[in-house]
Amino acid sequence: MSKKVNAQLDRSQIEEIADYLKKGKTSDVSLKDVMALAELMVGSMQSFFEALDSSVYSELREIADYISNAKDEIRNLQANDIKNNRIPQAGKVLDEIVKSTEDATNTIMEQAERIMAADTEDAAAYQGEVNDAVMQIFEACSFQDLTGQRISKIVETLNFIDLRIGRLAEVIGSGDAELHLTEVEAASEERKKNLILHGPQSAEDAISQSDVDDVLNGAADATDDTSQDDIDALFN
Amino acid sequence: MAVDVSMPVLVVDDYKTMIRIIRNLLKQLGFENVDDAADGSEALEKMKGKKYGLIISDWNMEPMTGYELLKEVRSDDDLSRTPFIMITAESKTENVIAAKKAGVNNYIVKPFNAATLKNKIDAVFGE
Repeated sequence: MSKKVNAQLDRSQIEEIADYLKKGKTSDVSLKDVMALAELMVGSMQSFFEALDSSVYSELREIADYISNAKDEIRNLQANDIKNNRIPQAGKVLDEIVKSTEDATNTIMEQAERIMAADTEDAAAYQGEVNDAVMQIFEACSFQDLTGQRISKIVETLNFIDLRIGRLAEVIGSGDAELHLTEVEAASEERKKNLILHGPQSAEDAISQSDVDDVLNGAADATDDTSQDDIDALFN
Repeated sequence: MAVDVSMPVLVVDDYKTMIRIIRNLLKQLGFENVDDAADGSEALEKMKGKKYGLIISDWNMEPMTGYELLKEVRSDDDLSRTPFIMITAESKTENVIAAKKAGVNNYIVKPFNAATLKNKIDAVFGE
């Protein structure tokens, strides 16, 4: 075969040449023909490549922008600062709160015990003792002021973390995955569930002593998911 | 039945300050013979060595909670009739019901005052 390949080559001719080339019979096909064929094919696909490039380019550009924004937000997260500075600092502040409230409580109790044990026979001495103890109690109560300030520092740290995590989640459009607990966390949750360990409740969530008394006496209205029948059954 | 203030009382709490508070309140009520334990397992050990007339226990302690201690006490033939008051920050209805089912005699939610403690002790002993 020796066919002149020209710009007007149609599909059937291209197929014939392609088939011929596949069979490996190159003797009747000149190099020039093959090169022309290749050029023709590239030319015919040029518009396809141009279209492909711009849509791919556009998508790749979008992905690049997304990654760049996510990287910026991750940098803005200040993760290292949070991990190495802010959280350890917050932990230290909490320890200080526990210590200072414990010290204050001990002082207050000691002085109260001192008053209870004071000898009342000598009125003047007793008054002196009481006054001195009460002054120490007042001084000890100043822990509340420092505690308030320390807690404000903790809240500031929490807000810092909250703002940055919120922004990152918004930028990457991330929702919450299903929670996977570690073995230790799962065991802890199981223990809390089995032993009904809720911990202290806020004022609005905690039941009052009179509510407790009603439950024990079987007179409670069911406000939880436990019914009155369940409560009555306890006493039958 | 009048409350025998000379009876030994065991206070169980992992927080030393709370033990001190309860001990002082009990002292004001006339109870001088007061021991303490830091959790349920330590309390059980003490109860096996000494007969207590009243147990006052917190709920949330480790390794043994007050709830577990209550169940252990009620399942022990020698200890089962010991009056048991829970004093705890666990303030959900399900806690009260669970404690009642486990055989608690009374239940006080923290924070509490001296009058409440006195009333609940009196109630346990039929005052």
